Amino acid sequence: MSESIIPESELEEVELYHAKSWWTEKVFTQDAKLIAIQYGLTAFAIGFVALVLSWFMRIQIAFPELSIISEGTYYQFITMHGMIMVVYLLTALFLGAFGNYLIPLMVGARDMVFPYLNMVSYWTYLVAVLVLFVSFFTPGGPTGAGWTLYPPQAILGGTPGQESGIILMLVSLCIFIVGFTMGGLNYVITILQARTRGMTLMRMPLTVWGIFTATVLALFAFPALFVSAVMMLFDKILLTSFFMPALVEFGENLTYGGGSPILFQHLFWFFGHPEVYIVALPAFGIVSDLISIHARKNIFGFRMMVWAIVGIGALSFIVWAHHMYVSGMNPYFGFFFATTTLIIAVPTALKVYNWILTLWRGNINLTIPMLFCLGFIVTFLNGGLTGLFLGNVIVDVPLSDTYFVVAHFHMVMGIAPVLVILGAIYHWYPLITGKMLHDGMGRFHFWVTFVGSYLIYFPMHYLGFIGVPRRYYEMGQTEALYTSSAADLNVFITLAALAVGFAQLVFIFNVFWSAKKGIVAEKNPWNATSLEWQTPEQPPIHGNFGKELPVVYRWAYDYSVPGAEDDYIPQDVPNEDVSLADGYSELGVEKT
Amino acid sequence: MSIFSLLSQKPWMPDQAAIDNTHIGRSSSHPLPRIALYVLMAVIGVLFSLFSVAYIGRMAYGDWRILPEPTLLWFNTGVIMLSSFAFARATVNAKENDLKRTREYLLLAGVLTLGFITGQLFVWRELVSFGYFVSTNPSYAFFYLLTALHILHLLGGLIAWFVVTYKSFVPQREASNFALSVNLCAIYWHFLLIVWTLLFVMLLLT
Repeated sequence: MSESIIPESELEEVELYHAKSWWTEKVFTQDAKLIAIQYGLTAFAIGFVALVLSWFMRIQIAFPELSIISEGTYYQFITMHGMIMVVYLLTALFLGAFGNYLIPLMVGARDMVFPYLNMVSYWTYLVAVLVLFVSFFTPGGPTGAGWTLYPPQAILGGTPGQESGIILMLVSLCIFIVGFTMGGLNYVITILQARTRGMTLMRMPLTVWGIFTATVLALFAFPALFVSAVMMLFDKILLTSFFMPALVEFGENLTYGGGSPILFQHLFWFFGHPEVYIVALPAFGIVSDLISIHARKNIFGFRMMVWAIVGIGALSFIVWAHHMYVSGMNPYFGFFFATTTLIIAVPTALKVYNWILTLWRGNINLTIPMLFCLGFIVTFLNGGLTGLFLGNVIVDVPLSDTYFVVAHFHMVMGIAPVLVILGAIYHWYPLITGKMLHDGMGRFHFWVTFVGSYLIYFPMHYLGFIGVPRRYYEMGQTEALYTSSAADLNVFITLAALAVGFAQLVFIFNVFWSAKKGIVAEKNPWNATSLEWQTPEQPPIHGNFGKELPVVYRWAYDYSVPGAEDDYIPQDVPNEDVSLADGYSELGVEKT
Repeated sequence: MSIFSLLSQKPWMPDQAAIDNTHIGRSSSHPLPRIALYVLMAVIGVLFSLFSVAYIGRMAYGDWRILPEPTLLWFNTGVIMLSSFAFARATVNAKENDLKRTREYLLLAGVLTLGFITGQLFVWRELVSFGYFVSTNPSYAFFYLLTALHILHLLGGLIAWFVVTYKSFVPQREASNFALSVNLCAIYWHFLLIVWTLLFVMLLLT
C-alpha cells in the first residue's frame, strides 16, 4: 500500500470574500453555492415557461378544431420552446448550476477563483433571460423563426416576431454568451488551479471531467453563435447582406442581395453540434458518478471514460454539417460528415458499455437517483441509435422534415439529459438543503416521467416513418397521405405529454415541500466518497471546508474495496485511517 | 506533463497513489490572472477567426467588391504598434519598480490607444464620405463590423488600463502584483495588435 504522507501545502490560501450586508450575502452573492442556486432557479423558471409552451403546442396538434393557438403563435412557441430548453435551461443548469455548486466542493476549493466575476456571470445570464422573456410582450411577439433562426425567413416579413422578437432573441443570445464566458473562465481555471492537495486531474470525479470538457467546448463553440447572431443583427437592423440573398417580398424587390443563408447554417451548427455535447458531457459525468455510488462499485473503465469525454469533445467540432444534409452539399462533403458522425458514436458507445458493466454484479440500490440513471441509459441508447440513422445522408434526407427527427432529438437531447438532471437533484438535494426529497412523490415522478416520455416519443418515430411532417400546426385534410392512426396518435401523445407535465408539477411541489417538511438528511446519506459530502457542515457553509482544506489520498471510486470494513472510503481518508474488515491485515491483503 | 501521460495514469493503483499524494493540487505555476487572460485571449482569438472564416466564405459570392483601404489605416497601425511598445516599456519599468517611468509609459500607451480608436473613427468617416456605407456591400459591412469589434475589445482593455494607471499614482504595497497587472495589460495589447495586424493583412489582400 502506498504511503499517505503528503507534503505541507505549498500554496497560500486565497482570502475568502465575506459579505458585508444582507444584499451582498443573499442577493448579489459571490458564494458559488448560492450562485448555483440562483442559476438553477432562474433556469427552472424560464424552463417551466418553455414546458407550458409545449403543452399549448401539443393541445393544438391533437385538437386542431379547438384552435387554441394560431399558426403564427405555434411557430413562436416552437421557437421559444426550443431555444429556451437548449440554451437557457440545459446549458445554464449543467454549467451554471451544477458547475457552480459542484466544482469547488468536488475539487476541494473554498470557492471559485474569481467570485466577483462569477456573480456578474449570473446577473448577465439573468439579463439575457429577461431580454428573451420581454419579447413575449413586444409588438409582434417573440420570433417564430424556429429555434435554428435560419435566414432569410427569420428576418423577413411574414415570419412572426420579425418586428422586434428576432432582435431581442439575437441580443439575448449575445448577452448570454458574454455571461457564460465569464462563468466558463471561472470553471476552467478553478478546476485547473484551485484543486486541493492530492487532487490530481485523474483523481477528479467524472462529473468534474464532464463539466470541465463541456466548458472548454462552450468557450470555443459559443463564439460561432455570437458571430452568426451579430451578423444577422446587422442584416436585420443595418440592412447588410451577410446572409440575405436577393429577395422579392410581396411583389417588391428588397434591398438585400448576394448573401448566403448557408453561411449562417455553417456558423450556427459549428456551435450547434458541440452544444449537444455541452449538455451531454456533464450528463455523462454525473450519471457515471451516480451509477458508481448507487451500485456501490467503482466505475468500470475509468480511464476509458475520461478518454471518451475528451475524445467526444474533440470530435464534436467536426460533425456539424450532418445537420445540413437537406441544405444540399457536395456528396464527398456529406460522406465526410457521415463518417465523422459514425466515429463519434464509438466513444459514446464505450461509455454506455462501461455504465452497464459498472452495474454488472454491482450492489444496485434502486434509489430514485439510480432509477433516473437507468432511465437515462436506456433513453440515451434509443436516442443515440436513431442518431445513427439520421447521421447518414441517404436516410436523413427523407426523414429530416418528419417527426422522426423530433423523436430522436427529444430522446437524446431532451429526455436523456433531463433524466440526469432530475436524478442529480434527487442525489444532491440532501447536500444542498439538508433534507431528503419525499420518496413516494419521487418514485411517482420518476415512473410517470420515464414511462410517459416513452409514450410521447416512441409513437413519434412511427409518425416520422409514415411521413408526418414536423413544424405543421395542424395536419389538415391529410387522410389521403397518412393513415387515420396518425391523428389518433397525436391525441394519445398529447395526453401522455400532459401527464408528464403534471408529474413535473408534483416534482416542483416536492422540492419546495421537502425543503420545509422533508426528513432531515443524515450526513452523507448515500455513503459517497467524493469531497462534497465530506464537509464539516451539511449543507456546506461559506468557505466549504472548515479551517483546513481537505487532503486527497485516493480517487473518487473506492467502493467495496476488499479489506475495508465499510463499502466506501472517502477521498480524504488516508489508508492508515481505514477500518479494516475481519481477516484483513491491510487493504486488499488477507491475513495469512 | 503531456496530456497523454496524464490520461494514462491509473489513479487506483497504489504506486500511482504514492505519486498523486504528493501533488500540490494545481496544474500550472502561472498566477491565476495570467491563466485567465490566456483563456480569454484564446476565446477572443476563436471569435475573430470565425469572423475571418465568414469573411472568406462570403467573399466567394459574386457581389463582393474590393474595399479601397484608406491610407489612414497605415498610420493607425503605426499608432497601435507604438501603443503596444509603450506597454512593453511600462512592463520593464514596473519590474524594475520604477513607478514614475511606468506611469509615464502607461499614460503614453493609453493616449496612443485613444489615438488609434479616434483614427479608426476617422477612417469610418472617410469611407462614409465616399458613399461606402455599411449596407453598400458585404466587404464594407465586414470592414465596419471587424473594426468595431476590435475597438470594443480595446475599450474593454482600457478599463483595465485605467485601473492599472490609477494604481501607478499611489504607492503599491505589493510591487509584484502591480508589475503583473502591467504585464498582463501589455500582453493583451500585444494580442490585440496581432489581431489587428492579421485583420489588416486580410483586408489588404482581399
